This record gives sequence, structure tokens and C-alpha cells, in this order.
Amino acid sequence: MSLMAIHLLNGISFGMILFLLSMGFSLTLGLMGILNLTHGAMFMVGGFIGYTVVGAGGNFLVAVLSGSIAAGLIGLVIERLFLRRIYNRLDDQVLLTLGLVYIFENVILWIYGGHGRMTNPPPFMAFTVDIGGRSFPGYRLGVIAVGLIAFIGLWWLIDRTRIGAIVRAGMDDNEMTRGLGINHELIYGAVFALGAFAGGFSGAIGTPMMSFIFSMPMEVLLYALIVVVVGGPGSVLGTLIGALVIGMIDALGKAFIPDLASFTIYIVLIIMLLFRPTGLMGRTMA
Amino acid sequence: MGGIALEPIKRSSQEQLVRLLPYIFGLLLFTMFPLLVPTYLQTMITKVFVFAIFAMSLNLIWGYTGLTSLGHAAYFGIGGYVYAILVTRYGIESFWVSGPLSILATGLVAAAFGIVALRVTGVYFLLVTLALGRLVYYVAVKWRSMTQGSDGIIGIALPNLGLPGFTWNATYFCFFVLFVLIICYILLYLIVKSPFGYALQGVRDQEPRMRCLGYNTWLYKYIAFIIAGIFAGIAGMLFSQYLGVFHPDHTGVAMSTVVLLMVIIGGTRMFFGPIIGAIVIVLLEYFASLYMPARWPMLLGAVFVIAVMFLRGGIGIHLVRLWEKVINGYGSVKGCVPL
Repeated sequence: MSLMAIHLLNGISFGMILFLLSMGFSLTLGLMGILNLTHGAMFMVGGFIGYTVVGAGGNFLVAVLSGSIAAGLIGLVIERLFLRRIYNRLDDQVLLTLGLVYIFENVILWIYGGHGRMTNPPPFMAFTVDIGGRSFPGYRLGVIAVGLIAFIGLWWLIDRTRIGAIVRAGMDDNEMTRGLGINHELIYGAVFALGAFAGGFSGAIGTPMMSFIFSMPMEVLLYALIVVVVGGPGSVLGTLIGALVIGMIDALGKAFIPDLASFTIYIVLIIMLLFRPTGLMGRTMA
Repeated sequence: MGGIALEPIKRSSQEQLVRLLPYIFGLLLFTMFPLLVPTYLQTMITKVFVFAIFAMSLNLIWGYTGLTSLGHAAYFGIGGYVYAILVTRYGIESFWVSGPLSILATGLVAAAFGIVALRVTGVYFLLVTLALGRLVYYVAVKWRSMTQGSDGIIGIALPNLGLPGFTWNATYFCFFVLFVLIICYILLYLIVKSPFGYALQGVRDQEPRMRCLGYNTWLYKYIAFIIAGIFAGIAGMLFSQYLGVFHPDHTGVAMSTVVLLMVIIGGTRMFFGPIIGAIVIVLLEYFASLYMPARWPMLLGAVFVIAVMFLRGGIGIHLVRLWEKVINGYGSVKGCVPL
């Protein structure tokens, strides 16, 4: 029983990382209609920069901040330099962002080599909690708490503030929103940078939980894609539910059917697309 | 007067010749070139031919039907794996048995995957093809007893054609692949120029209108999906013979994206575009492997960015414009239609 609790907690903490990761992806897809395939690379960049700062003797919180800010800035540059010119051209967005993924992967390989990298949890969270006679890392509990705080913050931002109202209006009727005098260039740039920031943040806080390697972006991206498909794009609550479902299925799959664990999330994706392509909580997508 | 009667365009024999000139030129180039260059370049040209088939198959569903697939290497991989397993594991030596069987297997997988993928459109079609491609990749990695996992299948012999006293060398194999390429080119050309092919382009441009006209657009897309899968399987089968080994990476995301790049470089609206794309990318990879093998993915990424930002429409369309300029410059043919 306590073993099951450990597996579930592992799933929830991984799900929280997925939530933070997918929220950024979901915002850019839902609001801007941009399929940003570099999102997995943002996760990786955030993680590697966090790793470097910790390795250089930096504080863990500073590492997380620098990783996420760096990813946010990279996202802003990508949006201003390239994506701004190819709104509404899905094929071109796919090809462009795929090309950028190749570049990011190769740069990371160049700098860090082909080995996996992990950091230790920060000293103030390097304790373990006793759950039914088994120990569980306190850091993962911390990640769950951070995820919940981020969920409340994002839900408040999207559902309760003027900025959130503009973002939601942009998802539903972009032209009308612009007609009302909203500076959509500014909003688009800001949302894209925020999305990349979330990607980098999830990567940076994920470094004590998983091994980071140059070849990870497509794998990470697929997790984000599947979460968004399960939860529905553009919904904060949907993304949280999708992330927890996928995090749990993934953790339980790895625990009980390790041979087939690689397949589980794809099978979930296919079932979802066949029976409920708008996602569990989905706003309809244009 | 009830309207303007549409008459078929009548072409004089001179115009016919001008229209055929690029083909004659291309065929001469492709047949003469392998004879004139050293063996290591011959193997590279063979690779170009293999990828030309692969890229043309993608163009049928992407350029002509408007379905962007991010998992087309799945069918490339199935073709390659089924052939490799039949030959190395079950000892079916004859190409005339193992070849058609692997093509049939690819068609069946494409038929099954098509049902799933074509339930959705747009972004979701892209995502589901990506996931299906990933599924094939994981099967190739995990089903060790059949596929040798990430070691890959080794020792795939060149196809046994059953000709007495015939032995392969690099030149013969190059011409064999060229022969298959020409057959695939003609078949795909006939498909694209058939009523079926025009219906596909109608589906790409105006699906609701095609539905109003009574076309079962789903069925058209589904059949195009299967045909594209089959031709990708042929390319995969040739690739396994060409390399002698087949590896899970040959069915992975990287392979799917490289073939996308070939099509976009050549131009999705030109029938011969994917061949140009295959030539450009294979050549680039060859030179990168000589001078900066570790930086090849970065170069590839840069080519993606350049292709999207600066090469709208692909190289193919520029070649056609150049050709028209050359022809019209002599004032012999007006409005030479791109082939």
C-alpha cells in the first residue's frame, strides 16, 4: 500500500513538472495558434543553465530563475525574429521550429557533451519524508507545492485579470480583439515569452528529478503535446488534469509494466484523439 | 452562343520535344553520371535515388493532398524492417517474394494507421502522425527478438533477382535503384495526373466544396495516405538493401523531418521538386560529413530556417522559371506549362 502511495506521489510530482511545461505550450497554441516545437528545447535549455549555475556554486533559486529567464529571452527572440513573420502558416511554423530544435540540440551537445546531467536538490530541501515505512524525497513534495501555487497563480491570471481576459478573447476571436484596440503584437510577444519562460522554469526545477541530455527535446515535446491533447489547449484546469493523468499513467506504467512503459502515453494519445479530440476540458480549436 | 468550348491544347511535335527536353536531359544526367564517377560517389547517388522515392511519396500526401505528416518514416521503416527480417531471419532470398511481401506489409500498416490519423485534421493530424511514428520506433527498439532492438539488423544482402550468373557491384545496384525510381516516378506521375490526382488537389484547396460536389473526401485522403505509405515502404526496402543494416533510427522522428525538409527545399507544388530536395540534402550531408560531421544537425537546422524564411516555394519553382526563360527567350514556345 505504501509502495502504491510512493508511485502515486512520483506520478503527481512528475505531473506537476508536466503541468508547468505544458502550460506554456498550451498558451502559445491556444492563443496564437502557433505550434511551437521548440518548447521541449526550452525545457532542456532551462535545465542545463540551472545545472551550470548550480555547478558554479550558485544558489538553487538563482539557478532556477536564470534558467527560466534565459529560456524566456530565447523565446522572445524566436518570436520577434521568425515566428512573427509566419503567423497562420502552420507548415512553416513546424519546419522552422523543428530546425531550431536541431540547432539547440547540437549547441547543447557541443557545450556539455553526450552525457546525462542531474543536480542535487538544494540543501534546504534535501530531506526525506517517511511514508508508511518508505522514504520519499522532500524535493518532490516541494515540486508538488510549487506546481499547485503556479496553478492557482495562472488560474487567477487567466480567469480573473484584465490581461487574462484579453488573452482569452484573443483565443476566441482574434480579429475582434484587435478591432477593440488591443495591441496584439505586444500581447503575442509577451505570451510567447511567458510560454518559453514556463518551459525553462519547469526544466530548471526538474534537474534534481531527471537526467538532462542533449537528445531530449522531442521526447519532452511529445509529453507536452499529449498533455495538451488530453487536457485541451488553452485551459488552465484542463492542462493540470491532463498533466496529472499523464504523469500518473507514466509513473505507474514504469513501475508495473516497464517493458511497455514507452507505449502507454502514445496509446492514451491515440484513444483521446479517436474519442474526444477536443480534450477533456478543451476550448474548441480553430 | 452557349459558352466557350474547351479544346484540348494541341501541341506541335516541336513543342512536344521542348516539353520532353528536361526529362531527356535529367535521364541522361542520372544515367551517365554514375558511370563517370568513382565508387564512393556512386553509393552517394544511390542514396539520392532512394531518398527521391521517399520524398516523392511524402509529396503525394503533403503537396498534393495537403496533409502534413510528421511520421512518414514509419512506413519507410516498416518497408525496411519487413524486408530485412524476411531475408535475414526467414531466409526468403528471392527478391520477387520478399520485395512484394514487404510492400504489402507497409500497405497494411498504412491502412491501419490511416484510419486513426485521418480521424483528425490540421494540427492534430500532425501530432497523431508524430505519435504513430514514435510508436513504430519504440516497437523497433523494444521488440528485440524480432528487430534486434537498438543494435539494428545487420547483414542484409543485395536483392537476389534470380538471374543466373549475375553478381552485384555498386554500379549495377545504382542502376537498379534508378530503374525503380523511374518506375515510381511514372506511377506517381500517372496518379497525380489522373482524375483521382486532381480530386486530391481539390481536397487540398477546397475540401468543403469537394464534399458538396459529392466526393467522399475522406476516402480520397485515405487512399492517398496508403499509396504514399507504400511508396515510402519501397524506399525503405531499397535503403535496407543499400546500407546492409537497418536501425530504429531509420524509422524515427529525425528521418521524418529530413524527408519533410527535402520536399520543402524542392518545392511542394512541383512534381519533380522532391528529387531536387533529395539531391541537395544528400549532397549537403555528404560534404558536412567530410568537413564537420559533428555539426551536421546544426547545419541541417539552419537549412530548415533558411528554407522557411527565404526559399518560399522551393528550388523547383525557380528551376521551372529559369527553364521557361530559356525557352521563351528563343521565342519558340509560349507559356510552357510546368510539368
